[in-house]
Order: sequence, then structure tokens, then C-alpha cells
Amino acid sequence: MKKLLIIVVLVGVLAWWLSGPNGLDPDVVPAHSPDLANGERLFHAGGCASCHGRLEDGKPQRDVMAGGLVMNSPVGAFHVPNISPDPEQGIGAWSDLDFLNAMQRGLAPDGSHYYPAFPYTSYARMTASDLLDLKAYLDQLPADSNAVPDHGLGFPFNVRRGLGLWKRLFLDAAPVVTVPDGDDVLQRGRYLVEGPGHCGECHTPRNAAQALDLGRWLEGGPNPDGEGRVPGLTPARDAFADWSRDDIAYYLEAGVDPEFDVVGGTMAAVQANMSRLPAKDREAIAAYLKALQP
Amino acid sequence: MNKFAVHTLFMAAVLLPVAAVADNHDPIAKRQALMEDTRDALRPLIGMTRGQVDFDAETVSNSLAVFATTAEQAPSLFPEGTETGGETEAKATIWSDRAGFEQGFVNFGEAVATAQAANIQSLDQLQPQLQGVLKTCRDCHDGYRVEKD
Repeated sequence: MKKLLIIVVLVGVLAWWLSGPNGLDPDVVPAHSPDLANGERLFHAGGCASCHGRLEDGKPQRDVMAGGLVMNSPVGAFHVPNISPDPEQGIGAWSDLDFLNAMQRGLAPDGSHYYPAFPYTSYARMTASDLLDLKAYLDQLPADSNAVPDHGLGFPFNVRRGLGLWKRLFLDAAPVVTVPDGDDVLQRGRYLVEGPGHCGECHTPRNAAQALDLGRWLEGGPNPDGEGRVPGLTPARDAFADWSRDDIAYYLEAGVDPEFDVVGGTMAAVQANMSRLPAKDREAIAAYLKALQP
Repeated sequence: MNKFAVHTLFMAAVLLPVAAVADNHDPIAKRQALMEDTRDALRPLIGMTRGQVDFDAETVSNSLAVFATTAEQAPSLFPEGTETGGETEAKATIWSDRAGFEQGFVNFGEAVATAQAANIQSLDQLQPQLQGVLKTCRDCHDGYRVEKD
């Protein structure tokens, strides 16, 4: 009996220790003079506005990152936070380290864990330099004092500490797909798709723990929004295998697919973001997708 | 139930859905056909903007006329009772937010009318007008259509 108690206590201590915040070393924050144009590009690539934008007629807008959108999920309702530069309700008081910890480690400034509804599992692949450019861009958008309520999640999902264990298992900044070192276009495409673009968050099916099943990378899956399915982006899906690189780039630019169908659903907002990227970024994404194996 | 009745019921069960699809008055089949026409009308315009086919003012004008018909006819093809069936991609929001849905077609019609009034005679004129029209397609597909593979 005494032995059992000791084991239970040890497991508890271990779980507590493993679930703690695993923050970045302050030394990783580079000396940096921000490039606002690059920050804006990443803002669009990352689709920040599509979730964090202030709501008008229920739809997130591109100008003020006041938050407030409610994302319903099987575990409860997520309330998208205010990331405008308001020092009280937004992130205006954050240091560079705070921002990097949020984006790469899914950690709030107080060390608590964010839910992966915020796709830091993808953003973790972004470089510190890019993230600081993005922060600088967000910092110069208008502040808004909109107060967003806490998430409405049931037990046990409302215990944030448990996310620490989830992250130990599933938060990995390593690239998913191997691409040749010397191929700048494929490297760029991989960075955009696997990092800021966070395409895999919807286009890759999830496992029982709600983490992306990297073994089925970009193979499509149930629509997290409810009805319908999110299509696969590998050549295994015949309909997509027929798309040329040009077709993909044009779809991201104009929202019209090779069958002359006009984009809809959650992809409409994604495409609107992608249309704001330089053409060579869309071409890099297309090149990466066409290089995927079935 | 006698054999004849079973047989009749069976045949009715098999044939009714077929009849429904074939029926010209079936709103689901009709609206799907209308969307197909719309897509076919879009085809040459996209080809022109992508540099795959030559610009042709008459084709543009014909396509815009098809779009105008769609904007006018489509809202009435989503009556109550056609929420499901016939592989419809209609989202429940069409019926829960009828005003927003119909406004989408008003916006579409207006963008098309603007393009028609612009009297498009060159590719440079077509590009911005087409973008204006496509935006209204996207706005409606965004909120009122279920995405399927």
C-alpha cells in the first residue's frame, strides 16, 4: 500500500513537471530592426485577421485585431483573443520574448499553456526574425479595448496544465516534408505551407489526441467547421493531382479552380489572405504541393 | 400486403427519386443546372485573364448576360423543403439567414450590372470588373455552401 502511494505521488510529480511551461531561453531573442513589409506579408500568410479580426456582421475584418470570434469545437467554445496593441486587453504590453513564446511554444506571458486551436504547432516553424517582423506589424495596427471572455470548455479540457503533456508529445518545430537544401523555391513553399500558412491544421487529419497525423500529411479530413470535408492536397486525390502548378497559384490568387468553381467555405478567407502575398510566394506554395508524394 | 402492392411500392420507391431528378420543376436540379451554366460562362473569362484564350468582347458580354440571369433566378430556386436531397451543397444558413443569402445575389447582380455598364472592350478593362464579380461569388459560397471534395 505504501509502495503504491509512493508510485502515485512520483507519477504525479513527474506529470506536473512534464506539463510545466517549456519557455524559450531569453537569449534566443535576436537583436532585430523590424521589417514592416515582411511583417505584413507574414500577417497575410498566417491568416491572423481571419480569426483575430474585429467582427462585423459576424465576420472577422482585416483592420483591427480585436478578437471575439467564437470557434465551436467538440470540447467546447473557444473565444478568439484580442491581439491588438491595447496594453490591457490586447498584447501591447508584450515583450519580444513573450511573442516568441506564444508563437513557438504556445505559452502565455504568465507561463500558462495556450490551446492548439491557436495553431502554434505550425507557427513554431517560423523564424524568430520573421516573428519579430510580424509583431512589429501587429504593434502598429489600431489598438482596441474589446474584452474577450474566457473559453467555454468543459472538464477536463479546461485544465490548461494538461496541455503541457500534449505539447511534449505533439509540438515539434521540425519540417514535415524533406525538400532539397539547394531548392530555394521548394524551401520557401515548405516554410509557407508548414509554418505561417498552417495549411496542415485543416488539410491534415487528426489523431485521437486531436494532434495532426503527420503520417497522413495534407491528405484531407473532416471539416473542423462542421459540415463537409476539407480536401486533400496530395496527388493521391485524383481531382487535385490534375491541377498544375499554375492552376494552384492562380487559385490562390483569384479563387477560381481549374473547373471554374469559385472558392467558398473557410478557404474563401484563406484565399483572400493568399491573394495579398507576392506572386512568387503563391508559386512557391504551388511548387511545394506539386512536389508532395501520393 | 399482397404481392402486387409490395411490387408497386417497390417500383415507386425506385422510380420516384429518378423522376424527381428528371423533373424540370425540381428546384434542386434547376439551381444546380443554373450554377453549371454560370460556371460555363465563367470559363472563357478566366481563360482570357490567364492568357489562355484571346480576349473577345462578345463572349464577355454573353457571359455577363448569363451571370445576370443567375442573379435574378437563383434566389427563388431555394424554397423551403429543398434543404436536402439531390446532392445539394446548400448550407442550412440559406434558410436560417434568408435576408443575407438574398442580399448575396443582389450584390452579385449589382457587380454584374456594373461590369455590363463598363462596356468592356479590352483585357485591362475585364480584369478589375471580373474581380468585382468574383468577390460576390466568394462572399456567398463562403457562408451558404457546404464544401465537399
